[in-house]
Amino acid sequence: MEKLIIEPTLNSPRVILDPEKKIFEFSGESRPENVKNFFMPVLEWLEDFSDELSEQDSTNGKFPLEFHFNFEYFNSTSAKFILDIFKTLSKLNSRGKEVEVKWHYEEDDEDMLEVGKEMSRMARLPFDYVKIQN
Amino acid sequence: MIPMSGTKTIIDYKGSVSHRTIERLLDKLRSAKEFQEMKKPTRKRLYSAFVESVDNIYKYAASRGKRSRLAKRESAVSVRKQDDQYMITAGNLILNDDVDELKFKLERVSQLDRENLKTLYEDIINREAGQEDQGAGLGLVTMALKTEHKIKYSFTPVDSTHSFFEIQIIING
Repeated sequence: MEKLIIEPTLNSPRVILDPEKKIFEFSGESRPENVKNFFMPVLEWLEDFSDELSEQDSTNGKFPLEFHFNFEYFNSTSAKFILDIFKTLSKLNSRGKEVEVKWHYEEDDEDMLEVGKEMSRMARLPFDYVKIQN
Repeated sequence: MIPMSGTKTIIDYKGSVSHRTIERLLDKLRSAKEFQEMKKPTRKRLYSAFVESVDNIYKYAASRGKRSRLAKRESAVSVRKQDDQYMITAGNLILNDDVDELKFKLERVSQLDRENLKTLYEDIINREAGQEDQGAGLGLVTMALKTEHKIKYSFTPVDSTHSFFEIQIIING
Protein backbone atom coordinates (compact mmCIF):
# COMPACT_ATOMS: atom_id res chain seq x y z
CA MET A 1 0.00 0.00 0.00
CA GLU A 2 1.38 3.37 -1.07
CA LYS A 3 1.83 5.85 1.74
CA LEU A 4 -0.26 9.03 1.89
CA ILE A 5 1.50 12.19 3.04
CA ILE A 6 -0.22 15.58 3.12
CA GLU A 7 1.84 18.59 4.11
CA PRO A 8 0.16 21.06 6.45
CA THR A 9 -1.08 24.50 5.44
CA LEU A 10 -2.40 27.38 7.55
CA ASN A 11 -5.83 25.78 7.61
CA SER A 12 -5.26 22.08 7.00
CA PRO A 13 -3.47 19.45 9.07
CA ARG A 14 -0.42 17.32 8.41
CA VAL A 15 -1.36 13.77 7.53
CA ILE A 16 1.11 10.91 7.55
CA LEU A 17 -0.19 7.46 6.67
CA ASP A 18 2.88 5.35 6.12
CA PRO A 19 2.38 1.59 6.58
CA GLU A 20 5.99 0.76 5.76
CA LYS A 21 7.35 2.93 8.58
CA LYS A 22 4.29 2.25 10.74
CA ILE A 23 3.65 5.96 11.19
CA PHE A 24 0.04 7.10 11.24
CA GLU A 25 -0.40 10.65 12.34
CA PHE A 26 -2.69 13.69 12.10
CA SER A 27 -1.52 17.01 13.51
CA GLY A 28 -2.08 20.76 13.39
CA GLU A 29 -5.11 22.82 12.57
CA SER A 30 -8.08 21.62 10.55
CA ARG A 31 -10.47 24.05 8.93
CA PRO A 32 -9.77 23.48 5.22
CA GLU A 33 -11.59 25.58 2.62
CA ASN A 34 -13.24 22.49 1.24
CA VAL A 35 -13.40 20.00 4.06
CA LYS A 36 -14.86 17.24 1.96
CA ASN A 37 -12.16 17.51 -0.71
CA PHE A 38 -9.54 17.39 1.98
CA PHE A 39 -10.84 14.40 3.93
CA MET A 40 -12.30 12.17 1.22
CA PRO A 41 -8.90 10.95 -0.07
CA VAL A 42 -7.87 10.26 3.53
CA LEU A 43 -11.01 8.24 4.21
CA GLU A 44 -10.66 6.38 0.93
CA TRP A 45 -7.05 5.57 1.73
CA LEU A 46 -8.07 4.20 5.13
CA GLU A 47 -10.83 2.08 3.58
CA ASP A 48 -8.38 0.57 1.08
CA PHE A 49 -5.81 0.02 3.80
CA SER A 50 -8.47 -1.60 5.91
CA ASP A 51 -9.45 -3.98 3.11
CA GLU A 52 -5.85 -4.87 2.50
CA LEU A 53 -5.22 -5.57 6.18
CA SER A 54 -8.32 -7.69 6.50
CA GLU A 55 -6.85 -10.18 4.09
CA GLN A 56 -3.68 -10.49 6.12
CA ASP A 57 -2.73 -12.55 9.12
CA SER A 58 -3.03 -10.60 12.40
CA THR A 59 -0.21 -12.43 14.05
CA ASN A 60 2.64 -11.18 11.90
CA GLY A 61 3.90 -8.55 14.34
CA LYS A 62 2.34 -5.63 12.52
CA PHE A 63 -0.26 -5.00 15.19
CA PRO A 64 -1.32 -3.02 17.10
CA LEU A 65 -1.20 -0.07 14.74
CA GLU A 66 -0.68 3.22 16.56
CA PHE A 67 -2.65 6.17 15.21
CA HIS A 68 -1.67 9.55 16.64
CA PHE A 69 -4.10 12.46 16.67
CA ASN A 70 -2.44 15.66 17.71
CA PHE A 71 -4.82 18.42 16.66
CA GLU A 72 -4.27 21.98 17.77
CA TYR A 73 -7.74 22.89 16.56
CA PHE A 74 -10.46 21.60 14.23
CA ASN A 75 -13.71 23.21 13.20
CA SER A 76 -17.16 21.64 13.37
CA THR A 77 -17.20 20.60 9.72
CA SER A 78 -13.88 18.78 10.13
CA ALA A 79 -15.20 17.07 13.27
CA LYS A 80 -17.65 15.03 11.20
CA PHE A 81 -14.91 13.69 8.99
CA ILE A 82 -12.60 13.03 11.91
CA LEU A 83 -15.39 10.96 13.45
CA ASP A 84 -15.64 9.08 10.15
CA ILE A 85 -11.93 8.29 10.42
CA PHE A 86 -12.53 6.78 13.86
CA LYS A 87 -15.51 4.80 12.61
CA THR A 88 -13.28 3.31 9.91
CA LEU A 89 -10.60 2.47 12.47
CA SER A 90 -13.24 1.01 14.76
CA LYS A 91 -14.35 -1.40 12.02
CA LEU A 92 -10.76 -2.48 11.56
CA ASN A 93 -10.45 -3.00 15.29
CA SER A 94 -13.57 -5.12 15.46
CA ARG A 95 -12.23 -7.31 12.66
CA GLY A 96 -9.37 -8.20 14.96
CA LYS A 97 -6.79 -5.84 13.45
CA GLU A 98 -5.83 -4.07 16.60
CA VAL A 99 -5.70 -0.28 16.43
CA GLU A 100 -4.43 1.98 19.19
CA VAL A 101 -5.55 5.60 19.09
CA LYS A 102 -3.33 8.12 20.88
CA TRP A 103 -5.30 11.31 21.40
CA HIS A 104 -2.91 14.14 22.28
CA TYR A 105 -4.11 17.22 24.12
CA GLU A 106 -2.42 20.11 25.87
CA GLU A 107 -2.60 19.82 29.63
CA ASP A 108 -4.98 22.74 30.14
CA ASP A 109 -7.10 22.04 27.05
CA GLU A 110 -10.08 20.35 28.66
CA ASP A 111 -12.22 20.90 25.57
CA MET A 112 -9.85 18.88 23.40
CA LEU A 113 -9.79 16.08 25.98
CA GLU A 114 -13.58 16.12 26.20
CA VAL A 115 -14.13 16.00 22.45
CA GLY A 116 -11.68 13.08 22.29
CA LYS A 117 -13.75 11.20 24.85
CA GLU A 118 -16.93 11.93 22.90
CA MET A 119 -15.36 10.73 19.64
CA SER A 120 -14.12 7.56 21.32
CA ARG A 121 -17.56 6.80 22.71
CA MET A 122 -19.37 7.57 19.46
CA ALA A 123 -17.00 5.46 17.35
CA ARG A 124 -16.89 2.68 19.96
CA LEU A 125 -13.12 2.73 19.87
CA PRO A 126 -10.93 3.03 22.96
CA PHE A 127 -8.47 5.97 23.02
CA ASP A 128 -5.31 6.54 24.97
CA TYR A 129 -5.16 10.15 26.15
CA VAL A 130 -1.72 11.68 25.98
CA LYS A 131 -1.20 14.89 27.91
CA ILE A 132 1.21 17.38 26.35
CA GLN A 133 3.03 19.36 29.04
CA ASN A 134 3.14 23.05 28.26
CA MET B 1 -24.17 51.69 31.75
CA ILE B 2 -20.77 50.27 31.00
CA PRO B 3 -18.23 52.96 30.20
CA MET B 4 -16.90 52.84 26.65
CA SER B 5 -13.38 53.28 27.93
CA GLY B 6 -13.46 49.65 29.12
CA THR B 7 -14.03 48.42 25.57
CA LYS B 8 -11.17 47.48 23.32
CA THR B 9 -11.78 46.66 19.69
CA ILE B 10 -9.69 43.77 18.43
CA ILE B 11 -11.38 43.25 15.09
CA ASP B 12 -13.85 45.45 13.31
CA TYR B 13 -14.42 44.37 9.73
CA LYS B 14 -17.06 45.24 7.18
CA GLY B 15 -17.09 43.93 3.64
CA SER B 16 -17.04 40.73 1.69
CA VAL B 17 -16.03 37.51 3.37
CA SER B 18 -13.91 35.15 1.28
CA HIS B 19 -11.53 32.44 2.43
CA ARG B 20 -8.74 34.93 2.10
CA THR B 21 -10.61 37.36 4.35
CA ILE B 22 -11.08 34.62 6.94
CA GLU B 23 -7.33 33.95 6.97
CA ARG B 24 -6.60 37.65 7.33
CA LEU B 25 -9.06 38.09 10.18
CA LEU B 26 -7.71 35.04 12.00
CA ASP B 27 -4.21 36.37 11.56
CA LYS B 28 -5.28 39.65 13.06
CA LEU B 29 -6.95 37.89 15.97
CA ARG B 30 -3.93 35.68 16.67
CA SER B 31 -1.54 38.61 16.63
CA ALA B 32 -3.63 40.83 18.92
CA LYS B 33 -1.98 41.49 22.27
CA GLU B 34 -5.24 40.79 24.13
CA PHE B 35 -5.55 37.41 22.43
CA GLN B 36 -2.00 36.38 23.20
CA GLU B 37 -2.42 37.36 26.84
CA MET B 38 -5.49 35.17 27.29
CA LYS B 39 -5.28 31.88 29.12
CA LYS B 40 -4.98 29.07 26.64
CA PRO B 41 -8.37 27.35 27.21
CA THR B 42 -10.24 30.65 26.86
CA ARG B 43 -8.17 31.63 23.88
CA LYS B 44 -9.05 28.38 22.15
CA ARG B 45 -12.73 28.85 22.93
CA LEU B 46 -12.69 32.35 21.49
CA TYR B 47 -10.83 31.10 18.43
CA SER B 48 -13.33 28.30 17.90
CA ALA B 49 -16.39 30.52 18.34
CA PHE B 50 -14.86 33.05 15.96
CA VAL B 51 -14.08 30.49 13.25
CA GLU B 52 -17.58 29.01 13.48
CA SER B 53 -19.31 32.39 13.30
CA VAL B 54 -17.26 33.55 10.32
CA ASP B 55 -17.67 30.14 8.61
CA ASN B 56 -21.38 30.58 9.09
CA ILE B 57 -21.34 33.85 7.15
CA TYR B 58 -19.24 32.28 4.43
CA LYS B 59 -21.49 29.25 4.10
CA TYR B 60 -24.62 31.29 3.79
CA ALA B 61 -23.11 33.67 1.29
CA ALA B 62 -21.25 31.02 -0.67
CA SER B 63 -24.16 28.71 -1.29
CA ARG B 64 -26.37 31.31 -2.84
CA GLY B 65 -25.43 31.67 -6.49
CA LYS B 66 -25.88 35.12 -7.96
CA ARG B 67 -27.29 36.64 -4.83
CA SER B 68 -24.15 35.72 -2.94
CA ARG B 69 -22.37 38.75 -4.34
CA LEU B 70 -24.71 41.02 -2.47
CA ALA B 71 -24.62 38.86 0.64
CA LYS B 72 -20.83 38.74 0.68
CA ARG B 73 -20.52 42.46 0.36
CA GLU B 74 -22.69 43.17 3.32
CA SER B 75 -20.97 41.17 6.05
CA ALA B 76 -19.72 42.56 9.35
CA VAL B 77 -17.45 40.85 11.87
CA SER B 78 -16.12 42.19 15.13
CA VAL B 79 -14.36 41.07 18.29
CA ARG B 80 -14.38 43.35 21.28
CA LYS B 81 -13.02 43.01 24.76
CA GLN B 82 -15.06 44.52 27.52
CA ASP B 83 -13.62 44.08 30.99
CA ASP B 84 -13.10 40.33 31.24
CA GLN B 85 -15.40 39.36 28.43
CA TYR B 86 -14.86 38.94 24.73
CA MET B 87 -17.74 39.63 22.43
CA ILE B 88 -17.90 38.27 18.90
CA THR B 89 -20.48 39.65 16.52
CA ALA B 90 -20.99 38.39 13.00
CA GLY B 91 -23.65 39.68 10.68
CA ASN B 92 -24.61 39.13 7.09
CA LEU B 93 -27.43 39.40 4.63
CA ILE B 94 -29.39 36.21 4.23
CA LEU B 95 -32.38 35.29 2.12
CA ASN B 96 -35.74 35.71 3.78
CA ASP B 97 -36.42 32.12 2.73
CA ASP B 98 -33.68 30.98 5.11
CA VAL B 99 -34.84 32.98 8.13
CA ASP B 100 -37.24 30.37 9.53
CA GLU B 101 -34.76 27.53 9.36
CA LEU B 102 -31.98 29.53 10.97
CA LYS B 103 -34.33 30.86 13.63
CA PHE B 104 -35.45 27.33 14.40
CA LYS B 105 -31.86 26.15 14.81
CA LEU B 106 -30.93 29.09 17.02
CA GLU B 107 -34.01 28.74 19.21
CA ARG B 108 -33.36 25.03 19.60
CA VAL B 109 -29.77 25.67 20.67
CA SER B 110 -30.66 28.50 23.05
CA GLN B 111 -33.15 26.37 24.97
CA LEU B 112 -30.75 23.56 25.75
CA ASP B 113 -28.44 23.10 28.72
CA ARG B 114 -24.94 21.71 28.27
CA GLU B 115 -25.89 18.05 28.52
CA ASN B 116 -28.67 18.40 25.99
CA LEU B 117 -26.40 20.40 23.69
CA LYS B 118 -23.98 17.50 23.73
CA THR B 119 -26.78 15.10 22.86
CA LEU B 120 -27.81 17.34 19.97
CA TYR B 121 -24.17 17.56 18.86
CA GLU B 122 -23.99 13.79 18.78
CA ASP B 123 -27.25 13.54 16.90
CA ILE B 124 -26.14 15.99 14.19
CA ILE B 125 -22.59 14.73 13.81
CA ASN B 126 -23.80 11.17 13.30
CA ARG B 127 -26.64 12.10 11.01
CA GLU B 128 -24.63 14.29 8.72
CA ALA B 129 -21.22 12.69 8.97
CA GLY B 130 -19.46 12.67 5.64
CA GLN B 131 -21.51 15.51 4.23
CA GLU B 132 -20.99 19.22 4.08
CA ASP B 133 -22.78 21.05 6.86
CA GLN B 134 -24.36 23.83 4.83
CA GLY B 135 -27.09 24.31 7.38
CA ALA B 136 -24.55 25.25 10.05
CA GLY B 137 -26.38 23.13 12.62
CA LEU B 138 -23.22 21.64 14.08
CA GLY B 139 -21.46 25.00 13.96
CA LEU B 140 -24.17 26.62 16.06
CA VAL B 141 -24.08 23.82 18.62
CA THR B 142 -20.28 24.10 18.76
CA MET B 143 -20.57 27.85 19.40
CA ALA B 144 -23.13 27.25 22.15
CA LEU B 145 -20.80 24.73 23.80
CA LYS B 146 -17.97 27.29 23.86
CA THR B 147 -19.89 29.97 25.69
CA GLU B 148 -21.37 30.19 29.18
CA HIS B 149 -23.83 32.77 27.93
CA LYS B 150 -26.85 32.55 25.68
CA ILE B 151 -26.17 33.22 22.02
CA LYS B 152 -27.90 36.44 21.02
CA TYR B 153 -29.25 36.88 17.52
CA SER B 154 -31.45 39.13 15.48
CA PHE B 155 -33.06 39.24 12.05
CA THR B 156 -33.71 42.64 10.52
CA PRO B 157 -35.77 42.76 7.31
CA VAL B 158 -33.92 44.66 4.56
CA ASP B 159 -36.10 44.21 1.49
CA SER B 160 -38.55 41.71 0.03
CA THR B 161 -35.85 39.05 -0.39
CA HIS B 162 -33.20 39.82 2.24
CA SER B 163 -32.78 40.13 5.97
CA PHE B 164 -29.73 41.13 7.97
CA PHE B 165 -28.83 38.36 10.36
CA GLU B 166 -26.59 39.05 13.34
CA ILE B 167 -25.23 36.70 15.94
CA GLN B 168 -23.43 37.62 19.16
CA ILE B 169 -21.35 35.30 21.32
CA ILE B 170 -19.69 36.18 24.60
CA ILE B 171 -16.67 34.30 25.87
CA ASN B 172 -15.55 34.80 29.45
CA GLY B 173 -11.91 35.79 29.73
